[in-house]
Amino acid sequence: MSNLNTALDFSQPKRERKVAARIWSQAFASIEFKIGMVVFIALLALAIFYPWVSGVDPLKMNIRGKLAPPLFMGEGWTWANPLGTDQLGRDMLARSLVGLRYSLLIGVSTTVLMVSVGALIGLFAGYFGGRVDTVLMRLTDAQLSIPMIILAITILGVSRPTIPSIIIVLGLAGWPVYARIMRSTVMSERKKEFVRGAQVLGATDWRIMFTLIVPLVLPPIAFVAVLDIARMMIFESVLGFLGLGVQPPTPTFGNIIADGRKYLINAWWIATMPGVFLVLTLTSINLMGASLERARNAIYGGA
Amino acid sequence: MARDDVLAGQILLSVRDLTVQAEEDGKSRTILDRISFDLNPSQILSVIGESGSGKTVLARTLASWLSVPLRVTGGAIHFRGEDLISNPKFAKSLSGREIAYIGGNPAGALDPTMTVGAQLVEKLRAVRPDISKSDARDKAIALLKAVKIPAAERRFYEYPFQYSGGMMQRAMIVDALISDPALLIADNITQPLDVTVAAQILKLLRELNSEFSTAILFICSSLPVACDAADEVMVLHDGRVVERQVPAALVDAPQHSYTKGLIKELPTLWAEGKDESGTVKPDVGQPIMSVHGVAKHYETHGKSGWALVQAVRNVQFDVFRGDNFGIVGESGCGKSSLMRLLTGLERPDAGTILFQGENVGEASPKRLRQLRRKFQLVLQDPYGSLPPQSSIGSILEEPLIIHKIGSRAERRDKARAIMAEVGLPDNFYDRLPTGLSAGQRQRLNVGRAMILEPELLIMDETLSALDQTEQGKLLELFQRLQEEHGFTYIFISHDLTMVRQVCSRIAVMYLGETVEVASNERLFFDPGHPYSRALLSAAPTLEKRRYSPEKCLLEGEPPSPIDLPPGCAFANRCPHAFDRCMAETPKLLSRGDHALAACFLNE
Amino acid sequence: MFIVRFLIRRLLQGALIVFLVSALIFTLLRVVPGDPVRLMAGGMAPEALIEEIAQEMGLRDPIYQQFARYMGGVIQGDLGQSFVRPANGAAVGGASFDDSTRAARAEVWDLIAQTVPMTLQLALLSMIFALVIAVPIGVMGGLRPGKWPDRLALYLSSVFISLPNFWLGIVLALLLSVKLNLLPAIGYEGFAYTILPALVLAVEIAPFIIRTLTVSVANVMGQNFIDIAAVRGLTRNQIIFRHALKNSAIPLLNLLGVQFSMLLGGVLVIEFIFDYPGLGRLTINAVMQRDFPLIQGIAIVTAAAFVLINIVVDLCATAIDPRLDY
Repeated sequence: MSNLNTALDFSQPKRERKVAARIWSQAFASIEFKIGMVVFIALLALAIFYPWVSGVDPLKMNIRGKLAPPLFMGEGWTWANPLGTDQLGRDMLARSLVGLRYSLLIGVSTTVLMVSVGALIGLFAGYFGGRVDTVLMRLTDAQLSIPMIILAITILGVSRPTIPSIIIVLGLAGWPVYARIMRSTVMSERKKEFVRGAQVLGATDWRIMFTLIVPLVLPPIAFVAVLDIARMMIFESVLGFLGLGVQPPTPTFGNIIADGRKYLINAWWIATMPGVFLVLTLTSINLMGASLERARNAIYGGA
Repeated sequence: MARDDVLAGQILLSVRDLTVQAEEDGKSRTILDRISFDLNPSQILSVIGESGSGKTVLARTLASWLSVPLRVTGGAIHFRGEDLISNPKFAKSLSGREIAYIGGNPAGALDPTMTVGAQLVEKLRAVRPDISKSDARDKAIALLKAVKIPAAERRFYEYPFQYSGGMMQRAMIVDALISDPALLIADNITQPLDVTVAAQILKLLRELNSEFSTAILFICSSLPVACDAADEVMVLHDGRVVERQVPAALVDAPQHSYTKGLIKELPTLWAEGKDESGTVKPDVGQPIMSVHGVAKHYETHGKSGWALVQAVRNVQFDVFRGDNFGIVGESGCGKSSLMRLLTGLERPDAGTILFQGENVGEASPKRLRQLRRKFQLVLQDPYGSLPPQSSIGSILEEPLIIHKIGSRAERRDKARAIMAEVGLPDNFYDRLPTGLSAGQRQRLNVGRAMILEPELLIMDETLSALDQTEQGKLLELFQRLQEEHGFTYIFISHDLTMVRQVCSRIAVMYLGETVEVASNERLFFDPGHPYSRALLSAAPTLEKRRYSPEKCLLEGEPPSPIDLPPGCAFANRCPHAFDRCMAETPKLLSRGDHALAACFLNE
Repeated sequence: MFIVRFLIRRLLQGALIVFLVSALIFTLLRVVPGDPVRLMAGGMAPEALIEEIAQEMGLRDPIYQQFARYMGGVIQGDLGQSFVRPANGAAVGGASFDDSTRAARAEVWDLIAQTVPMTLQLALLSMIFALVIAVPIGVMGGLRPGKWPDRLALYLSSVFISLPNFWLGIVLALLLSVKLNLLPAIGYEGFAYTILPALVLAVEIAPFIIRTLTVSVANVMGQNFIDIAAVRGLTRNQIIFRHALKNSAIPLLNLLGVQFSMLLGGVLVIEFIFDYPGLGRLTINAVMQRDFPLIQGIAIVTAAAFVLINIVVDLCATAIDPRLDY
């Protein structure tokens, strides 16, 4: 017994940290997270600095240098265009990187929007229960039953797609999943004794919700939302591919690939190279997200 | 010499110098230290020890169920002369067949998605493939009957979640006995059960032992239970066997200092000179809280549609200023629902709860919040009751902030003063509660409740998660605080010995009703309700019992609160029940001197 | 008895959901800018004619009246008629404003009924592919948490989930169809045309199954009854195949229910890329042509399918785990 106690004392500084910090450090300890993070930071730095440092304009056409293949691939490649050029001679690397910027911008803002909306609705449904819960959850079910992409292309297809409208449409289409997760975690937290304790002390519902429950349940959900950044980036590119994303001439992964499809046989790199970029970015985000998700599961399973 | 006895068929299990170590971070720690003992066929041997003494590791080692970081590093276990340590394959082939194991968590022991019967058959055919399916089924049903599960044929086809805790433990006994094992290891099997149910299980185990001549290694942490259950008791301390005697000799003349301490520390129920319990004499006059005819039901919906659970049906008692009022009852008796009603977390469907003459059940939310300064609750679960993300200081200051009391500095001083008062070191102020022990957490809970200077403190199973020593210390703290601040306590508990120690007046609840209210002495020496007697007969104690379980308790489960029979709720388990009890519900009647009981025998 | 009550309750809830979905889509389509009549009649049509057509079709009535009329039809099984598609032949778009065939426009219900079997074929095949890929990987990962099968599951699902379906479709079409000539890709002239799209769709679904299974198998394996089963004398095979897998199937079932809409989203894009004549391609075309009745019809049908699938999922889950109660 005494041995057991000393063992506990040793681990005390570790145990005392808040849940969010523990998830973070556990995820950070995994090799997958580090790989993902290194790749992601490299890509991010490239996206921020390359167009600016190299001075290459992603919109500048150069008909003479059109359809140049990537480095070492076929004839006519140049160092100036490491990933080749498209049918109008625009630099593929610069275009992909600008696409990456928009993709990240839309992915992150959409995720933030849908997590906030979903978490808020789930919080109310889960905390108050009863009729509030029934109404909110029927709405959620209804929303969930329309495939997100159908909803998105319907709205964007009949109205004009702009960056804010894309963010709003994707964000509003994606909230139900978060509402459900939030509702069930809030429901289980609400039954815990510390909530009852706070009620007996005389705390109001709002106080309990926002000072006790939200700080407890939101971080784990937010960590897992990292995975949804990647998912939203895919949705953004799908919209672009269908012509419902950010409109040309602004390059996005979706519209570059859609364009490149027409030249697939002669210039395969136009459609595939931006995709490789996108896949790399998404994989790095997903590796980080999956490590965070696992760390969360481990800590919640073990705690 | 043990070898010869084995060959003569005298000894079933012979353990010699068994040593088990745990290896963590390159360091090894000895859990079991050269344990030696013998067990004869059809003998019952209790192994007792506190948590950490290694008794569960011993059970698992014998069942070949050690997992990393635990490892056997020395010694031998001879089962019918074969060594299990040097021949793990043989050991594995015995498990479930010759050596059966029952754990302390019956609720999670079977696959929830398969019927109990199917799993019993599956288990028997896994260890004895020669038995046909229908034979296995017949055997399982016969054994379910033997462990007194009512309607065994029907129960065979039910799922684990349809069994109550006590029934499930019976089913697990069937699961263990179905392969006719020579040795049964029962690891803490009565621990999660209510006392009356545990008493029934113990009785059953002894009957089965004489019927099937299975040797039983009965592992538990409560000395009274161990003595009740076994032919001999072995005491384990710090991984070593310190003593082995027959129960009577152990109690009368313990050899080892650890056993002596253990017996001395055990509270007694009936020993004389115990009436200093209510040191603050209750001021009998105006009650501080008066509960009358309170009822609460909940709606649930299950497979069979909507149903009403009658959690609280008819509760009635008065608590006087300076009282230590106890509410005892087993799980499902409505204690927790009553607690929610008393604290105004929920409102009763009927009846009144008067706190200083004001009806808590009908107070406006705003008034209720004001009233809450005067009555506070200390919760049961030391781990779930504290917000995990707030520091200890801010947990203590939170009630002051809610009620807008004092400036920041004043609140801080007050919190530190309270910490000193409940015995928490001052440097804990900025720490998170995650590192605290269960006892420290309950101190913090008490501190949080009393920072508002209430008059009434409701303790909901506050001590049940603590060990005996910790309980004693907190009870001392409660008493000191009561002397200094004049608190009135309501203890809600399932633990009769604790209630006996501290309470001045006690209400006994059964299935949502108060069946008896009496002073401490009166309840323990002259109970007015058969259920109170049954409860007393089942209470774990080393003393000579005033009430024997055989005479006070019939086989059977408490009825479900969804489907209550007419008449007295206890009638189906009551040895004194007669026709009228089945038809008419008895009322709480005065037996004089503020004592009430709801039984026709008192009329 | 339980099952009847369950079905009645769930079907009523489902009807409510479908109603809400219809109301939502109907309103959305009417408040967003863009006049479908202009599109139908063509840019050249005179304003008066457009007004006339709109009046005739009831498009100038208040929204709630239009909605009531529409729902009245839906209840009788009439999803209305397409704005732009004739009863037979290709879409007309805004070719000529004095088109006399306007009276013979295609029934939305027929358009959907023609394409649904194709999409079902694609969805089922891809589901089979996905399960074949994901179940072994997920289960192995869950049985050995932290070891290499678990890592494999993590890496594989992270990569699979990062492959945008339209890009993977293009790359696979380029490799397997154009370069290697193994499988047909574009259009539909027989069952072989389903394989490539189904494969792409399977890659999209598989990571979700892998993840769910690793987590749920690992959870179940950590539970008390699995732990104690070995002590009770059951063999490891019995424990894994009779108990662990059965118990971990429920989260997988729920996933299929919730992720149904994701599956449909994938179908949409993939049918578009491979020019596969299913519901997805129909949807995209309907949106591009602002064919409001068709969009509404598809939304209602998919919502109804979602409701039905979730009822079936919940029934299966209750059959596996009788404790569950929906």
